[in-house]
Amino acid sequence: MKRLKDFAYQEPTTLDEAVAALAEGGDTARVLAGGTDLIVDLKIERLLTTAVVNIKRIPGLSGIDDLGEASRIGALTKVTDIEASTLVAERHPALSQAASILASPPVRALATIGGNVGRASPASDLGPALIVLGASARIRGTGGDREELVEALYTGPGRTSLACSDIITDFIIPKPAAGCGSAHVKLGKRGSGTDIAMAGAAASVVIAEGVITEGKIALASLGPIPFRATNAEEVLRGRPAAEETIAAAAEAAAGDASPIGDIRASASYRTTLARVLTLRALRAAIASSREVVA
Amino acid sequence: MTTYVGSRVARVDSVDKVTGHAVYGVDVALPGMLHGAVVRSPHPHARVVSIDISAAEKAPGVKAIVTGKDFPQLFGSAIKDQPFLAIDRVRYVGDPVAAVAATSEREAQYARDLIKVVYEELPAVTDMRLALADDAPLVHPDMHTYQRGGHDIVPHTNVNTLYRYERGDVETAFAEADFVFEGEYSAHALSHVALEVHVAVAEYDEYSGDYTLWVSTDRPFFLRDDLAGGLGVDGSKVRLKVAQVGGSFGAKGVPIAEAIAAVLARKTNGRPVKVELTREECLIASQLRVPAIMKLKTGVTKDGLMIGRSADVLWDSGAYTAYTVGVAIRGSQTIVGPYRIPNLKILSRQVYTNKGITGSYRGYGTTQVTWACESQMDEIAHELGIDPVELRLQNGYEEGDSYLNGQIMHGVGLKETVEVARDEIGWGSIDRQPAPHLRRGKGIATMIKPTMTPSSSNVVINLGGDASVQVICAAPEIGSGQDTVLAQMAADAVGVPIEDVSVPATDTALTPYNGPVASSRTTYHMGSAIVSAGAEIKEKVLALAGDFFGVDSEYLEMRDGEILDEDGERLIGLKDLLAKFHGEGFSLTAGGRYSSAGSPLLKADPGEEWISSIFWMFCTQAAEIEVDTETGAIRVVKVAASADVGKAINPMTCEQQIEGGVVMGVSNGILEDFKIDNGRIENASLADYKVATIQDSPEIVPILVESIHNEAPYGAKGIGEPAAAATPPAIGNALFDAVGIRIPDLPITPEKVLDALAAKEAEDL
Amino acid sequence: MTIRIDTTINGDRMEIDVDPTLTLLEVLRENLFLSGTKEGCGVGECGTCVVLVDGEPVTSCLVLAGDGDGANLETVEGLAQNGELNEVQQAFVNTGAFQCGFCTPAMVLSATALLRDNPQPDEEEVKKALGGILCRCGAYPKILEAVIEVTGEGA
Ligand SMILES: Cc1cc2nc3c(=O)[nH]c(=O)nc-3n(C[C@H](O)[C@H](O)[C@H](O)COP(=O)(O)OP(=O)(O)OC[C@H]3O[C@@H](n4cnc5c(N)ncnc54)[C@H](O)[C@@H]3O)c2cc1C
Repeated sequence: MKRLKDFAYQEPTTLDEAVAALAEGGDTARVLAGGTDLIVDLKIERLLTTAVVNIKRIPGLSGIDDLGEASRIGALTKVTDIEASTLVAERHPALSQAASILASPPVRALATIGGNVGRASPASDLGPALIVLGASARIRGTGGDREELVEALYTGPGRTSLACSDIITDFIIPKPAAGCGSAHVKLGKRGSGTDIAMAGAAASVVIAEGVITEGKIALASLGPIPFRATNAEEVLRGRPAAEETIAAAAEAAAGDASPIGDIRASASYRTTLARVLTLRALRAAIASSREVVA
Repeated sequence: MTTYVGSRVARVDSVDKVTGHAVYGVDVALPGMLHGAVVRSPHPHARVVSIDISAAEKAPGVKAIVTGKDFPQLFGSAIKDQPFLAIDRVRYVGDPVAAVAATSEREAQYARDLIKVVYEELPAVTDMRLALADDAPLVHPDMHTYQRGGHDIVPHTNVNTLYRYERGDVETAFAEADFVFEGEYSAHALSHVALEVHVAVAEYDEYSGDYTLWVSTDRPFFLRDDLAGGLGVDGSKVRLKVAQVGGSFGAKGVPIAEAIAAVLARKTNGRPVKVELTREECLIASQLRVPAIMKLKTGVTKDGLMIGRSADVLWDSGAYTAYTVGVAIRGSQTIVGPYRIPNLKILSRQVYTNKGITGSYRGYGTTQVTWACESQMDEIAHELGIDPVELRLQNGYEEGDSYLNGQIMHGVGLKETVEVARDEIGWGSIDRQPAPHLRRGKGIATMIKPTMTPSSSNVVINLGGDASVQVICAAPEIGSGQDTVLAQMAADAVGVPIEDVSVPATDTALTPYNGPVASSRTTYHMGSAIVSAGAEIKEKVLALAGDFFGVDSEYLEMRDGEILDEDGERLIGLKDLLAKFHGEGFSLTAGGRYSSAGSPLLKADPGEEWISSIFWMFCTQAAEIEVDTETGAIRVVKVAASADVGKAINPMTCEQQIEGGVVMGVSNGILEDFKIDNGRIENASLADYKVATIQDSPEIVPILVESIHNEAPYGAKGIGEPAAAATPPAIGNALFDAVGIRIPDLPITPEKVLDALAAKEAEDL
Repeated sequence: MTIRIDTTINGDRMEIDVDPTLTLLEVLRENLFLSGTKEGCGVGECGTCVVLVDGEPVTSCLVLAGDGDGANLETVEGLAQNGELNEVQQAFVNTGAFQCGFCTPAMVLSATALLRDNPQPDEEEVKKALGGILCRCGAYPKILEAVIEVTGEGA
């Protein structure tokens, strides 16, 4: 079997200790959350690390809370817990759906939401959902705490604006307004389920009297990072929540996509999927706008 | 009368496997054991200029380093063309170049990365069509000098196998036919993905020169001889002990981890060495299914009678031939399908390319040719306006028909397999189309498969004084239930309870010769040997009982461990009878041997007997699928899978083979897809080489057809391979039924489906 | 370097010193000789390394040894008690829900965990719960049958 190369290992019990350990470790130090990306990357030698800082002994970093006007999800919250949460299902269906199809159950039981954002995979499932839900991340770093929109964190494939010593502590998702709905869909090579996305789409809409007052669409595996399909969103604004609108937005989303061809799918197939999946995500988001608990 | 044969006996390996106690190759650990790691070529074709091991030698824990010059012999089955480690050239990305043994696997992997190999890249040929070109780079310029068996090659080219077959006059048949169909189909490379990786532990005794290996293999004696060839020693100097095998599907027959472990063990002062490949190594450097491009031309009358067929098949062996020559020859014959076609012409060529080795894969060539044959059958049926089921029934083999070489076939349940599959799937109707973008369709495909002929199996059955029975044979349990069906047959043949029967693990120094656990041959061949040895044991026991009771043993019977008289009344239990010998000790053995060589059943037209098979297997599958016309994704909804198994010794294990074959067929047909760029596999990980999960598994209805074969043990034929072959064409034909498109090149990916739909739409306009 | 972990494995509480750069899978197989847990890919894709951590199936090839500290681990070796198979194991035997058996420990553990949480799963729920474990022999139909048999809903 493939063995891990040697590295220093630490289990800090406070955030400050962790930040300090990371700062000391420098460029090749890594936060360990669920490990489902990090350990894979180390095994296949996509990444080399000299120091692993396991943050799971730090209390308070996981859990899902109702803050009233927002929901809080700790960075170490496992994907299975997000999948199982009724609060998330009722308020933020896109995130709930994304969590329910991320990887497979024994991986979901390890994988965390913070790790998903931290890994910044263009194929991320949670990323697009968090983006359309307007989520932000709270971050502890050497310079203290700050809060940033999730969509602003991604800077490139596998890259974020986080410094090596930054730790995401939790995510804040605004409570949806009345008439708001959201959904996430993806397609992997194994259409059945457990698979990384050849393409993915999340959508959220706010509907008032049959008209979409605001719509957000975010795509995965259709560009270098999970990103918003801004032209498609423009198409939605102020238009009736009807099939023609959705079709036009889906068409625009295909234009917003800038996919590459790789071992999973060709660029042209991905462009087709951008349209089809946006269509499906929007349909489902509109349908859910009647059910979401605002 | 049988007690166990024919019933759903729980598998004898049940408890070991559900409790995790079963010991597989990967679980073998010996005192003092070292671990190996392999340096592999990053180039598809290159000259090895130099290998610098100086840094690795000094690395912590390192005990031995070997390179190709340490073992310059070539091994192989039909052509001896392969070294254990590259001698002066590497011929594929992943070709082993050097290996390290160290006290831990981590140290071995660390030291491996310190070995510096300088290569001089050579022009590579990585496409089988290009390998045929006159100016193609030669993968083995010295092929003509290699030792080989009797088959034809084309010297000074990449063609390592040339085979032609002709019967009747195909050109006249095409001229007389009302319709001539021509098509080109291709079947892709696949990995077996046995979940247990390739692994071996080897030990070398410097004093005797003997090698002992703990291995996970389906063909111990073939592997032993290949190893001996590469090590340059006699077969008797290599002993293989076979652990539980975590899946094979044809993969675990050639020296892979075994070769590396053995050469390392030669240099470790007697310390055993374990070599366990990573999954990535298994995907790039073990064995793959032989890819094939198949041109097929068939002449048919307007009533659907097939009167002539020609085939031009090109196979890709990769860098070394391993077991592919037989695939190219045997496989190409089966492209005729289970159909009576009087005029035939087959050309089969196999080429070397600078890619990983290919070899036997569940079905030994039939998975490839069945794709071509059955796809074209469907085209013919639709073009002629004949029901695809009827076309197959009309041309299909029946009991007593002669095979293409003139062999009279017995035990031919083909048509029944077609009929039961047709009925189970509800042929000819689609209940409902679930949504405008979700289209359902049904398709059918059938197949024929011979078994390796001639071949032999030998067994020793021992009856101990405690009335326990050991079935001593070299038929490793690779997952397909051998131990169970062999125990069932032995229990009935001897007349003892199955709980008292065991099938000890294979050890080539203890268990007598057996051909491979491959070609669906074990139940029939080893079963025959067991039936005869078992009968002898029983006869001897009854003679003892006869002496004891003073009756003629002819009037006695033994069943389920009880000695019975003429009226079926119990005289004494076997245990009690044997207890009488307690003082002196007791053990009774009998040998059994079955060889198909020389069987009158193989009689065929002069010179063509070698094409005969001691039994023929048939299977049919009818599939219902659902196509998402927006994404091109296919969901296989249901597969009705029938197989003519002869007598089902254990219906449950037969179902396992059928169900497993269908799952593999679905996976092969629509999911598994290597992305290869200039010979380099780019998706060498299960993250990107997708294998079916339980969520991809359709509803499968296995149906057993029992056409009895008279020479077979209890009438049993074989079942292991056929099911995997019929699934992809059944899916492809269902795709046509659903949306009117065909994808001639496997796999049927969503992307190809969408492209074909778009092309069809453009054409329909 | 080693770290000390205090862990419970199949009901036995123990303190062990381990190299923290090992995975839980390596510790189980090589330090503790619990070789029922298998490796099939090393990167979480095949699921043969599944063990239960605090009752939940996880791919042990992706877990570092340190995370075993304070955990309640169950491996296939802990399922049968006093020579008696648990009901999932027994159902696997009855229906023939394995072939080569390499994925069986992971399948049996995952099914056991599922049934503890949800004693009456339907077929879709079973498939979803087992969707992360590959069985190349394709024992899936009989695995499904076995799990459904335990729920008492089988034919
Ligand atoms: C078999 C398999 C299938 C998968 N399928 C999918 C899929 O379908 N969809 C999908 O989106 N992903 C998938 N993944 C990827 C992975 O499971 C997810 O991205 C997961 O959410 C990562 O979380 P983790 O806790 O395991 O991250 P880790 O591996 O622990 O960390 C990932 C990265 O994020 C950093 N990090 C972790 N936590 C923090 C934090 N709090 N603050 C700052 N940085 C942090 C780490 O340093 C590391 O660089 C799959 C992985 C596997 C092994």
